[in-house]
Amino acid sequence: MSEAGHPRLAIRGLTKSFGGVRALSRADLTIMPGEIHGLLGKNGSGKSTLIKILSGFHKPDEGTLEVDGTPVALPIPLGRSEAIGLSFVHQNLGLLPEATVLENLIAGDHERIRPWFIDWSAEAARARRLFADHNLDLDPWAVVADLSPVKRAQLAIVRAADRVKAHNASASPGLLVLDEPTPFLPIEDVRELFAMMRALKRSGVSIVFVSHDIDEVMEITDRATVLRDGEVIGTFETATSDRGRIVEAIVGRSLAQGRLVSDAVAAPPAISVRGLKGRMLQALDFDVAPGEILGLTGLIGSGYDEVPHLLAGAQPAKAGQLEIDGRVRDLVGLEPTAAIEAGLVFIPADRQKQGLALDLTLTENAMLPLAAGGRGRFWLDHGQREATTMDLIRRFVVKAQAPRQAASELSGGNQQKLLLGKWLQLVPKLILLDEPTQGIDVGARREIYDRLFEACARGAAIICATSEFEQLEMIAHRVLVFERGRVKAELRGSAVTKSSIEQACYGETKVHEPF
Amino acid sequence: MNLSSLGNHVERFGLVLVWLAVIAIFGAMRPDTFLTWSNFSSIFGSEAVLVIVTLGLVIPLTAGDFDLSIAQTLTFCSMLTGLLSARVGIPIEAIIPIALLAGAAVGVVNGAITLYFRVHSLIVTLGVGTFLHGITLWMSDSQTISGVERALMNYVIIYRIFGIPVSFYYAILLAALVWYVLSYTAFGQQLLFTGRGREVGRLSGVAVGRVRMAAFVASGVMGAIAGILYTGTTGSANPNSGTTLLLPAFAAAFLGATCIKPGRFNAWGSVVAVYFLVTGINGLSVLGFRTYVHDLFYGGALVVAVMVSQLVSGRKERTL
Repeated sequence: MSEAGHPRLAIRGLTKSFGGVRALSRADLTIMPGEIHGLLGKNGSGKSTLIKILSGFHKPDEGTLEVDGTPVALPIPLGRSEAIGLSFVHQNLGLLPEATVLENLIAGDHERIRPWFIDWSAEAARARRLFADHNLDLDPWAVVADLSPVKRAQLAIVRAADRVKAHNASASPGLLVLDEPTPFLPIEDVRELFAMMRALKRSGVSIVFVSHDIDEVMEITDRATVLRDGEVIGTFETATSDRGRIVEAIVGRSLAQGRLVSDAVAAPPAISVRGLKGRMLQALDFDVAPGEILGLTGLIGSGYDEVPHLLAGAQPAKAGQLEIDGRVRDLVGLEPTAAIEAGLVFIPADRQKQGLALDLTLTENAMLPLAAGGRGRFWLDHGQREATTMDLIRRFVVKAQAPRQAASELSGGNQQKLLLGKWLQLVPKLILLDEPTQGIDVGARREIYDRLFEACARGAAIICATSEFEQLEMIAHRVLVFERGRVKAELRGSAVTKSSIEQACYGETKVHEPF
Repeated sequence: MNLSSLGNHVERFGLVLVWLAVIAIFGAMRPDTFLTWSNFSSIFGSEAVLVIVTLGLVIPLTAGDFDLSIAQTLTFCSMLTGLLSARVGIPIEAIIPIALLAGAAVGVVNGAITLYFRVHSLIVTLGVGTFLHGITLWMSDSQTISGVERALMNYVIIYRIFGIPVSFYYAILLAALVWYVLSYTAFGQQLLFTGRGREVGRLSGVAVGRVRMAAFVASGVMGAIAGILYTGTTGSANPNSGTTLLLPAFAAAFLGATCIKPGRFNAWGSVVAVYFLVTGINGLSVLGFRTYVHDLFYGGALVVAVMVSQLVSGRKERTL
């Protein structure tokens, strides 16, 4: 039984290291009954580690956990968190789109649903009552894929709330952990979700709300805790706290990386994009000059990462035009073939699915753009293909044994260098990068940057979409910072620093309307 | 030769060695019936049809698609040839282009449904093949049609080079063509990436839709060629001729992917695999086993082939 005065959740001294690296260091966190508590921090600040300890995915090295005053043995066995009173909604929501609302609602609910018979009409009636209790307009027989994104999020939240209520061993209303449920929702929908969260709060449920969006956290939470580099920096009463202080707590002081590029680009812009619209992007305009490295960044869900995919034809654009060398092309229905022909190359973050066919050879992978363009229509000169590949391997410093080995045998960094060679051999006018150094060690990064600088010196323009601000400080001439599909800030030359980008990301904005 | 390249050679020619071993064993047991030139020349000639069906499968398989309709395309084109020749009396040189066009049309239908409606080719070609068989039974009234122009038989099974019927050489020529396309043309690379890394290929400028369509049309035409040769081999058109060829052809295609160019569907591997399989069956029937060994042998070979190719590649499962 939850007694008055006991916090719903009390974490003390939670510590977790991965191979000597402290992901979470003596973290304390207290959440009261009926409290909405924000959890803020950059990527790698320890938020996910904390949540994964709560869900039983990680075993902490040290620390204690109490729920409603009762100590809980750690690690929590996987699948037992609901019995303790904890339930989770992750960003992907964990719904099966092809199944109905009702099927999703009862999926995995082994404690209540008997394995040999499901009384569908009783379950549907129960679901209707549940939705009515939460003022939700959901049809149990609707297919989830047909629901709007906000309805899906509501379904996931109501399912979590229902589980914790039904399975909690004590009578406490429990704690929901909402892990970034909002970044892909429009503002009106976020508001609808907040109304639901407030209603849950009134019924005594506690909520941990994880978000990158300070404004949302300020709006909905009672208190918020900031994590940085695995440590709890502080807990703030959001109603009385200054936004600037919270931003400072998130960002901290960062060391300058030292810029590797000059501050200005002399050439006039040669490539311009007008009115580009994607899933998140709203009518984006920008120009880029030969020899320029333009960085695109923002928080998760801000839409910056769509730009390279849309320009390369990897993902369909809803609207937009591309002007390159005076020729205007429509970006709607742009095929990758046409993008390549226009002088664009795309180096995707997802090397396995989009970059290289890993079980084919280095030569086949590296020579694919030529073969796709029809080189060797009647006779593939295997000797020449291997010689060209050897040349690329040398120029791009790929550590490989032979051009006939499978690409899967290379390390991630060397695969990325091969991918760079595959595309830069075409002497492109515009290079589109999506997280170009994801999962790549420092030495290989530097080599990749050097190849990019060489391409710039030859007159190529580069667009680099990345969530790594340090990287932009090192290599970008100019950076566009995105929020909710729009450019929020533009930084140039010496103003491109990690801390100025962080300030721009978390800083106050004109786009975000108040609730 | 170091150890790993020796291992490579064993892998590449393993099936050839097994084939020779099978010949040696049956030869030792039945030297005067099995180990005769006439037995082998009849195997080489009569199984040319199976070689061509297998080669036809290899093309869409490389592009990541299944063509289960190929055996019924064979039956349909075989029946078309039989009817047009025996009943209508059209000369054979006019029938051949008609049958080839019919095969290509089946490929277009398979490709159009698979690509436009984004249905898995396995289901589409299963349905189209069965539908086609229905048409074949309908137009033949479920009867075997005989009385096909003699010239066709002459140019398929009667004329011999080195004692082997010419149909064998047609199959070898087609194998050489498929080998050339897969290994020595840009289109072969486009097929390969369409099968093994479709999104990688698309983003690199491969028109994956067109490539898949071309693969379906190619297998349809191969099915038609096999159908014409089938009619030429027996001198008649049987409305159920292709049905028993589908499984052996798949077994040979997958078994073929374990040799010559291990890990890839390939032309010469398929030829070796077909003749390995039919040699085994021929040997077992010479020893006196009944027809049930066909199913045991072909079914077993298909399962063993996919198991071996998983072990050999030792990597991610081949996506079906």
